[in-house]
Amino acid sequence: MKSHFAYQPRPRPLQLASPGAAVAYLGAIVAVAFLYSNPLVLVAAGIAATVAGLLCGARRSVWLALKMGFSLALLIVVVNALVVDRGETVLARLGDWPLFGRVDVTLEAIVAGLSGGLRAAVAIVAAAVYSACVDPDRVLRALRPLAGRSALTATLVSRLVPVAAADAARLRDAARLRGPGAAAVGRGPLARRLLAGSLDRAVDVAATLELRGYSLDAPPARNRRARSRYDRRFYAVAALVLAAAIAGKALGADDFQTYPAVEIGLGGATLALSVLVALSGLAPLRRRSRVSPSSRITRANRHPEAARV
Amino acid sequence: MSELAIRRGVAPALAVRGLSYAYPQSTQPALEDVSLEVAPGEFVLLAGRSASSKSTLLKAACGLVPHFHGGEIEGEVSVADLDAVVAGPGELAAAVGYLAQDPETQVVSTTVAAEIELPLEMRGDAPADRARAVEEVALALAIPHLLDRTVDTLSGGELQRVALAAALVTRPRLILLDEPTSQLDPVAGDELIWLLRRLNEEWGVAVLLAEHRLERCLAAADRVIAMEAGRLSFDGAPAEFLAWACDSDPALETPAARLFSLAGIDPLPIGVRDARQTLRGMGVAHPPNRSSRRECDPHPQDPVLQAKGLWVELDRGEDPRDVLKGVELTVRRGERVALMGRNGAGKSTLLRTAAGLHEPVAGKLSVDSIALLTQNPSDYLVRERVADELPGEEGLAALRTVGLEHATDADPRDLSGGERQRLALAIALAGRMEGKDLPGLVALDEPTRGMDHVRKGELVRLVEDLATRGAAVVVATHDVEFASEFAERVILLGDGVVIADGPMAEVLSGGWYFATEVARVLDLPGVVTPEQGAVALREAGP
Repeated sequence: MKSHFAYQPRPRPLQLASPGAAVAYLGAIVAVAFLYSNPLVLVAAGIAATVAGLLCGARRSVWLALKMGFSLALLIVVVNALVVDRGETVLARLGDWPLFGRVDVTLEAIVAGLSGGLRAAVAIVAAAVYSACVDPDRVLRALRPLAGRSALTATLVSRLVPVAAADAARLRDAARLRGPGAAAVGRGPLARRLLAGSLDRAVDVAATLELRGYSLDAPPARNRRARSRYDRRFYAVAALVLAAAIAGKALGADDFQTYPAVEIGLGGATLALSVLVALSGLAPLRRRSRVSPSSRITRANRHPEAARV
Repeated sequence: MSELAIRRGVAPALAVRGLSYAYPQSTQPALEDVSLEVAPGEFVLLAGRSASSKSTLLKAACGLVPHFHGGEIEGEVSVADLDAVVAGPGELAAAVGYLAQDPETQVVSTTVAAEIELPLEMRGDAPADRARAVEEVALALAIPHLLDRTVDTLSGGELQRVALAAALVTRPRLILLDEPTSQLDPVAGDELIWLLRRLNEEWGVAVLLAEHRLERCLAAADRVIAMEAGRLSFDGAPAEFLAWACDSDPALETPAARLFSLAGIDPLPIGVRDARQTLRGMGVAHPPNRSSRRECDPHPQDPVLQAKGLWVELDRGEDPRDVLKGVELTVRRGERVALMGRNGAGKSTLLRTAAGLHEPVAGKLSVDSIALLTQNPSDYLVRERVADELPGEEGLAALRTVGLEHATDADPRDLSGGERQRLALAIALAGRMEGKDLPGLVALDEPTRGMDHVRKGELVRLVEDLATRGAAVVVATHDVEFASEFAERVILLGDGVVIADGPMAEVLSGGWYFATEVARVLDLPGVVTPEQGAVALREAGP
C-alpha cells in the first residue's frame, strides 16, 4: 500500500518547481523554526508550512503530519514538565517519583516544552510537504553531478524501499499460508529471507539503472530539465523570509524567555515577522489565466445562453 | 561506421560469433559457441525450454553479460557495429533496448514520464529533444494517459509497456525481450506482440523475442532460433521451425501445428490465419459440429467453496476500489477449475479472500479448508535446506506427494523452477495430506509463469493427483492452453463479476481471446485440444 507521504505528481506550483527552488522555500520555513523560539513566530511558520501543503493538494499528508507533529509536541511538553523543575510558577507538586525524584510541574517548563514541540511540529509538517510535493527523482538527478555515487545509492534505495515493502507483505502472507506440518516461520528467518531477496532485487534494479545509462558521465548543466516559471517566486520568497528572519533576530523579534518566568515578546518586529512568515505559505498560490475577451466571444457564439449568464 | 550508416541499416542489428560464456563460480558454460546474426528490421523469435540460456544470450546482446554479471566470455558480440564485449550497457543503450521478465524491477523512477525520459537525460539530450521523444514513444505505445502517473499505481501490463517505452525511447535498432507476456492476460499479451510487430514494421526496429508460449508470437516472427543447453539447435523460418520441432522437440510445437500433425495435414500452420487458409484450400472449411452444448456435470460431492454476493474492496494507496462485485460461486470436492480473466479482473483477490488474506465487505463466503500457493513460490522458501522447511513424517509425506522426497538435503535455491514450485505446494499442504485433513480446496495462483511445456505437463499430473485424492483444485491462470489440459470447468471473471462459468471445452471454445489456438482455428464448440481437433478434421475429410 502506498504511503500517504509519498510523492504525488500534481500540476501545482511546488510540484512543478525545480527541486532547488522547492527545497529553498521549505528550507527557509524550517530555518525560521530553528532560529526562533518565540511561540508566535513558530505558529506562523507552522501556518506557512500547512497552507503551502494544502495549496499544493497534499491535504492528507499535511493532516497526518499535523497529527504526528502535535502528538510529538504534546509528548515533549509532558516530558519537559516532568523532568524540568525550573520556573517560578508551580502549578502542581507531585511529590517524589522513582528515577525522577521530586516532581514539580511549572508553567515555565510547560511553555518551554511547547516551544520545542512547536519547532518539531513545524519541521514534521514541512518534511511531509516536501515528501508529498517534491519529485525525489529530480532531487537525485540534480545531486548526480555533485555526488554521483551517493545519488546512485539513494536512487537504488528509493526504488528498493517500495519493492522490499511489497516483498515483505508477500512473505508474511506466505508464512500465514504454510500448512500445519511445515516448520513455523518466525521473524528471524523471515527477516533473513527478506534481506537475501532484497539483495537479488538490488541487483535487478542496478541492472536496469545500468541499462538506462546511469553509469555514463553526468550530462552538461544546459541539458538538464528546464526551469519552471515558479522557480523565481520560490527563490524570492525564501530569500525574503530568511532575510527577514535574520533582520528580526537583530531587531529583537525573538524576544522570548521561559525561566525563571515566562516572557513572550509581542513587539512590532515579532508581529511583522510572524505575519510575513505566515503569508509566505501563500507562495504556491496559482495565478489562474483570465479568459480573454475574444475567447468569451467565441464561447458566446457557441453557447448563446452562456453569454446571457 | 557512421551513425547514418547504422541508421540506414548497413550493419547487422546483432552479430554474435563463436560466443561462449560462463557465469562467475560456475563450472558449466551457459553459452557454448553461439553464432547468429539478426538483420536490421528482422523479427526473430527465440525458442527453447526453461534453462536453455535464452535469457543469457539476450543479456550478452545488451552488454549486461559480462559487464554487469562478470564471468568468462569468449567470442564476439556486436550491436549495430558497437562491440558489446567492450562497450558497457549504458553505451549500448542507444543501439539496443532490453526488456526483462519482471516489470517491477525495471522501473527506477517515481513517475512514468521521468522513467521514459531517464535514458535520454543520462546521455545528455537537450530538454526539447527529450520532450519530443517521450511524447512520440508514449503515442506509439498508446500510453500518453499514463505519463503523469506514479509507477506504483500501474498494473503489471501498464508497467510492462512503460518499461518497453523506456527501452525504445532512444530509438534503438534492436529490442531484446525476455518473456514479456508471461505476466499478461491473453488480451494484453496479444496487444504487446502486435505492438512489437507494428514497431518492427513502421520504425524498422529489429526484435529478438524470447518466449515460451510460441503460439502467441510465431505468426508475427520472420525467423525462429531455438536453443538447447546453451547452444543453437535450430535457426530458420517459422514454418521450417515447426517441422523441426515436430521431429526433434515436440515440447516446442504449437497447438495448431500439433493439430495438423495429428490430422496428417501439411504444411504445418504458423498461426490461426495460416491454418484456416490451409483448411479452406483443402475444402475442410468447416468440420462438422459434433459437440452440443452441455451443462457442466454436477459433482455429487459437498461444496468446498461457496460465495454468495461476495464483495471485496481493496485500497492500494489510491482510492479504495471494489475488486469483487457480488460474486456467486460454488466449487465442489474433486473439481478441477481454471479461474481466468484479464489482469485486475479479481482472480487473485478471490483466492486470497478464500484463504483469509482479505476480508469481504459484503456477502458470504464459506470455505471448507484451503491450501493456497500464491504467485511467487519462492516466498514460501525461507530456509536453506528442504528438510528444514518440512521436518518429520508429515513433511516427508508432503514431499512424497509432490515427488520431491529425494531432495530433503538440497538447498531450495538450487532446485529448478518447477521443483521450487512443487516444494512450495508441499509446504502449503504439509500436515494435511491424509483423509479428512486433506484441504477441501487447493488453489494455485498463476503457477505457469515462465514454465515450458514439459514443466506444465508435470503440473497437470500433480493437479490431477490432488483432485483424485478428493480436493477441489482451482488454478488462476492466463494460460488458455494449460487450462485446456488440466481443467474440467472454467470460470471467467470480468471486472469482479463471473461472466462465464461452464465446462472447459465450452468456455474455451466460445470466445476469441479466452480460447485455445485450436478453438480459434476450427471455431467448433467444444473442440479445444489438438487431439479433439484432429478427430474432427479426420471426420470432416478433405
